[in-house]
Amino acid sequence: MPETPRKYYGLFIFLGVLVCALVVLGYYKDQFRDWKTYQRRFVKEELKRATTPQQRLLAESTPVQIRQIVLPELNRVDRCTTCHIASEDPSYGGYPQPLAYHPHHEQHPFDKFGCTVCHRGQGRATTTEAAHGHVPHWDEPMLPLRYIQASCGQCHQATDNPAAPELARGERVFETTGCRGCHKLGGTGGVIGPVLDTVGARRSPEWLKKHFTDPASVTPGSGMPPQKLNAADLEAITLFMLSQTGPSLPGYYASMKVIPSAAEGRRLFEQKGCIGCHTVNGQGGKIGPVLDDVGLRRSPDWIMRHFRDPQSVTPGSVMPKFGFTESQTRALTEFLLHLRDQQVALSLPGLITPVERGREVFRKYGCAGCHGPEGSGGVPNPNAKTAEQVPNLQHVADGYTLEELKALILRGQREIAPLDPHRPPPPLYMPPWRGTIQEGELNDLAAFVMSLKKKDEALDF
Amino acid sequence: MKTPFPIRFWRWFEQTSLGRSVFRVGVPRSNLSRAQAMVSSFLLHLQPAKVQRRTLKASTTFGLGLISLFLFAILIITGVLLMFYYVPSTERAYNAMKDLEYVVSAGLLIRNMHRWSAHLMVACVMLHMCRVFYTGAYKRPREFNWLLGIGLFLVTLGLSFTGYLLPWDQLAFWAITVGANIASYAPLIGPKLKYLLLGGNVVGQEALIRFYALHVILLPAVAGLMIAVHIWRVRKDGGLARPDEAADIVEQIDAGQLPTNKSYGLMELARGTSPQVGVNQEDLVFSWPDLLFRELLVFLAVLALVLSLAIFWNAPLEQFANPIHPPNPAKAPWYFLGLQELVSYSAFWGGVVVPGLLVAVLALVPYLDRSRAGVGQWFARERTVANTIFSVLLFVMVVLTIIGTYFRGPNWSWQVPWKETPTLQEGP
Repeated sequence: MPETPRKYYGLFIFLGVLVCALVVLGYYKDQFRDWKTYQRRFVKEELKRATTPQQRLLAESTPVQIRQIVLPELNRVDRCTTCHIASEDPSYGGYPQPLAYHPHHEQHPFDKFGCTVCHRGQGRATTTEAAHGHVPHWDEPMLPLRYIQASCGQCHQATDNPAAPELARGERVFETTGCRGCHKLGGTGGVIGPVLDTVGARRSPEWLKKHFTDPASVTPGSGMPPQKLNAADLEAITLFMLSQTGPSLPGYYASMKVIPSAAEGRRLFEQKGCIGCHTVNGQGGKIGPVLDDVGLRRSPDWIMRHFRDPQSVTPGSVMPKFGFTESQTRALTEFLLHLRDQQVALSLPGLITPVERGREVFRKYGCAGCHGPEGSGGVPNPNAKTAEQVPNLQHVADGYTLEELKALILRGQREIAPLDPHRPPPPLYMPPWRGTIQEGELNDLAAFVMSLKKKDEALDF
Repeated sequence: MKTPFPIRFWRWFEQTSLGRSVFRVGVPRSNLSRAQAMVSSFLLHLQPAKVQRRTLKASTTFGLGLISLFLFAILIITGVLLMFYYVPSTERAYNAMKDLEYVVSAGLLIRNMHRWSAHLMVACVMLHMCRVFYTGAYKRPREFNWLLGIGLFLVTLGLSFTGYLLPWDQLAFWAITVGANIASYAPLIGPKLKYLLLGGNVVGQEALIRFYALHVILLPAVAGLMIAVHIWRVRKDGGLARPDEAADIVEQIDAGQLPTNKSYGLMELARGTSPQVGVNQEDLVFSWPDLLFRELLVFLAVLALVLSLAIFWNAPLEQFANPIHPPNPAKAPWYFLGLQELVSYSAFWGGVVVPGLLVAVLALVPYLDRSRAGVGQWFARERTVANTIFSVLLFVMVVLTIIGTYFRGPNWSWQVPWKETPTLQEGP
């Protein structure tokens, strides 16, 4: 065939061989996966341990295959056990990864919770880097183990869980540092800074820590004052922030049996008819004591013991043993403590003074974030006429009447007089609290602020 | 030497009644059967039994149309394989992508092949059109085939664009959002058009199912049909355009002019542009095996290229689509970036008038440019004006596309690709 020179046949053979080689290469690259190596290592280990022929047979018949936990409610498929194949076998305690045993998972069985719901990472992936989430285009890298308690906060109240002391500490730091003065969390807080409800899903621990110590270094132009926190508090509040991942888990996971929360306690309280004997918010029976303030009179431990066996702490009590489960007991206790925190303490005259209640309001809305603990001031506000600081509150009583003060709190003060009009305006300002703060709270807060004037200070004009 | 068994088996099979009924002509061993092989097979029949010798030369066309066809074939095969796993649901589509990558045997390879073939096909169709223009091959009698080509170009863009949404990641979601917005700039019908395309005002489940149906059924069917007609017309219009063909053109016989009181044989009515008419028989070669063998080589080369790309480069997959978190800048697929760049100057002019005029002018080219000079010749001297105008337009579109791809940063502001522009940090 003169039209087709010989070299074309050479080209045909070359291209044919090239395509075959590429197919083989593609197949090899597709079939060679690290997880197969790990599973074979596991089988080898099992064979080494086998003492009876049956055990040998069992080990040999372990299939090398993808293993996965399908969690339809969470829209997750966790294939972590494809590599971490011995995670449920206690005899692999202390083994090097990926064959190590996962301790302490009895409360959260893998087949119901999977792995990524606590550890984060990419459950569907089957390569180390991708599964651990350290790849581009995956926003949920694995949570470093030292912050793992943050995951408890997705379902459990920070104060709920004795197994997560760091989380509880983080919440304490958050509430006492005054973060709420500028930031909203769970609907309560100021409007100067961003809402923090989903911050844990969006920011890395490194980012958060930098943000606390030097906000402007990660958010140029941020007006947030640098926070002076000791190392342990810094870790704790970082962990608490990481626990704020937005809406809680759906379905089974949100079912009240799992989370002994105040809301579950309230449901139980209504369902079991407690109100037949006890009064709450002025409603209910008179047989048992009023419960609005029980959290102030009794310790949480006492309340829990009372639920388990009323007669053991109150001899002669006529209250029956309800046989609550442990988590139901905790939920009911949470509810009673919640009554104390949220409504009762502030509306029970005579129990504590308005100034004391006002101190609580001051804490609740994070006023200390800008005005300092107990209104002592010292928080920088660059270019503010008031010595480039947020004013302290110790002289409010000299310049304002009670009514003026309350009006100022409600109105806020958007414009802060600058020291130098040519520099950027001061970043911090007084947000309006109208619509957020309740009237009773406002009265108490004003009383508290007025009380900050040092009594023994001589007024010397 | 003894004849190898497969060949002996084939020869025996050809003789059986089953073999004869399927293949009619066995492996051709004479010029007659070579012609018969081409004519009697449905697929080969799209091509002539004999072609011009110059058709065999690579530089005549660079095989760009053929490469596009093979890419289309690879796309169909890999696409059907992907359909076994893909679910057009906003909740499951992205997971299907992840599963293809991590647990489906060769899933990632097939997806990569599909992705890169799609990009290559868009590029090859564009280059094919340039080749046809620069060789003046759109002129009479090939005007309609040029129109079909423009249609196929638009269908190819449509196929690529509809496929872009299916992975349901950030890249998909925002590229389609940008693309649909460009469509909405059309006067009067724009917003309605966008609504029709998306099945709503924003990209969501309705848009996904529409794009899926277009991508896997309607557009491939339309493309397949148009490709068949396109190739068949190449043959009917006298094969590849060649410089000396002007003399061969015999005007279409106008049936209305013929006396009706006699009967005509088919040959008398047939159009006079098949390669056999007025052609020196010396210049013709049988399609079997010379043309087919070269086509096989091209196919192997295309397959090797696509496989290499698919093995060494993964198709992009970004985060799960998030309608409240647009990337900055949100960019359309690369072949629309020239348009997006134009849109950044003026939505109406860049998004509607310019592309509309471009397509209209391209479609009208064979009817405006009626001279027969320079047909079948690369960059013919007689066609300098047409070629220059085309080149300038092409150059502008290429430059706009490069600017849109590499030189546009956040808020579509100017940036140089080798220097990272500081991006705005949002609050915590």
